[in-house]
Amino acid sequence: MEEKILNLLSEEYPEIDFTSSDELVDDGILDSLTITGIIAALTMEFGITIPYEEIVEENFNSVAGMAAMVQRLL
Amino acid sequence: MFTDNPYERFDFLEWWGTLSPTFLSVTVIAFVFLLAAVYYLLPKRHRWVSLLAGSAVFYCLAGIRPLVTVLLSAFVVYCAGLLLETTDKAFKKRRRLILWSAAGILLLVLAYGKLYTLLDLKFGYIIPLGISYYTFSAIGYLADVYWGKEKAEWNYCKLALFLLFFPKILQGPIARHRTLAAQLNEGHDFAYRDFCFGLQLAVWGYFKKMVIADRIAIFTGTVCSDYSKYGGIFLLITFSLSVVQLYCDFSGCMDIAGGIAQMFGIRLEKNFDHPFFSKSAAEFWRRWHVTLGTWFKDYVYMPITINPTLLRLSGRISKRWGRRAGRIFLTVIPLSAVWILTGVWHGTGLSYVVWGVYWGALIILSSVLTPEIKKLNERLHIDVTKKGWQMFQMVRTFLLFCIGRVITVPGDLAATGRILKKMAMDLRPWQLTDGTLYMQGLDWKEFVLLLMMIGVLWFVEIQQIKGSLRERIAGWNMAVRCAFYAWSVVFILIFGIYGIGYDISSFVYMQY
Repeated sequence: MEEKILNLLSEEYPEIDFTSSDELVDDGILDSLTITGIIAALTMEFGITIPYEEIVEENFNSVAGMAAMVQRLL
Repeated sequence: MFTDNPYERFDFLEWWGTLSPTFLSVTVIAFVFLLAAVYYLLPKRHRWVSLLAGSAVFYCLAGIRPLVTVLLSAFVVYCAGLLLETTDKAFKKRRRLILWSAAGILLLVLAYGKLYTLLDLKFGYIIPLGISYYTFSAIGYLADVYWGKEKAEWNYCKLALFLLFFPKILQGPIARHRTLAAQLNEGHDFAYRDFCFGLQLAVWGYFKKMVIADRIAIFTGTVCSDYSKYGGIFLLITFSLSVVQLYCDFSGCMDIAGGIAQMFGIRLEKNFDHPFFSKSAAEFWRRWHVTLGTWFKDYVYMPITINPTLLRLSGRISKRWGRRAGRIFLTVIPLSAVWILTGVWHGTGLSYVVWGVYWGALIILSSVLTPEIKKLNERLHIDVTKKGWQMFQMVRTFLLFCIGRVITVPGDLAATGRILKKMAMDLRPWQLTDGTLYMQGLDWKEFVLLLMMIGVLWFVEIQQIKGSLRERIAGWNMAVRCAFYAWSVVFILIFGIYGIGYDISSFVYMQY
């Protein structure tokens, strides 16, 4: 799952190195506009609905966090 | 109030009526120290009660009726919070109804307060101070309880304290329950370092407000009373100064509020992060009025963005016109909503809607056109990492903010148009050297002093970016430190503006 998400995000945002940090949001690598794009990409790719409760830093700070969230919502 | 006759009775109510809830009043400053003494003398578990009582007294300086309005609003928030907490999450519609009903009531009170002056409504209602700030804090709290990100507060008095806490009630920051409530409720031990740092921060706030902002206000107030007399360059200088004035006024109040809170061991959220070092409009709004920006991001932008209908539409657009089109759609809709609402929050009238559209357009365009801007920079061989280019970006952002001020300050869009036209076509540069500059309420000595103080502000801002200035001062020898503190206070007392006609209740952002 992690690899699939990493490939998807690297294709969407080639300028961002998603493996560079485990605190992508806290380090300012992802801003709200990028998070919006990631949510859209994950929603379309996996056919999930991401509820607002899930939009917290921990779920977007790393690819592993995003993968865990997607697993929960599938 | 006080007469030569020592036997005349002291009229408490008359004296109370002369006070106003502002940190610039000597009585309020004395009150803060008294409250700090009471706070630290009380047993730890009762210390929050002194904060609540102190906040209520502070708010009462604006009158009893505004306090009643706030306490009633707090009661609505309290009930709604408990209902949300105790209603099973399976009853989605019921929970949504509770949230929207409570938010609706709060927003109605806010809208009425906003329209009160505009439509000249008179039903014996006094707009509560800081209504926008506590309303947004309250809605944020309820939304967090609704989403399960926050537990509801079961003690009404503690919730009232969160909404009323006196340092932040006038101009924010827009507090989050999850970061502030626990700090307010736990009793803090007296910590010399916190108390001292708090005082330092407050003194720096007084410097920005009284020495810089209120000095510029004399100049800008004179020029803005009749724009027609001045040329474009003169007006550009005026609006540039008005930007510095707004920054020193608002961030000065934030420093005073943050400093006072720190005296009680409480940290308020940062509302300014050196905004004039921003290289783009979007970065500027991440550094200016930070808590308003994050509030809109969390409670307007994100909920719109993750709306399933919007995401579906974005998906369809992506399939038909490509991924970039889908992403643009998902950027434009929520950002447009956020910026129109931000404009309306800042004031009533068309000027503020235009102001919101102006900033929204700048931010949306810079986001949507990022690849083109990158290509253009490469084609023009611009090295974006060079200091010179970054300085240019900072000046450009500053000028964009100046144009924003030209939209809202004159009060009507026709005047805005005339001023912009002058800035472009009717420069009259001789007004800078023919003495006009020194006839707007500040003579040349005052003007030189003002420029020097802006230089001090600039220097301190750079030092703050490099590291904590307060930590460095704390490392100085005790005697040097005490002399520096004393000198700072005396400097503000001597060079601060509080002469005849000075209105101590006028912090610019208090009107919100």
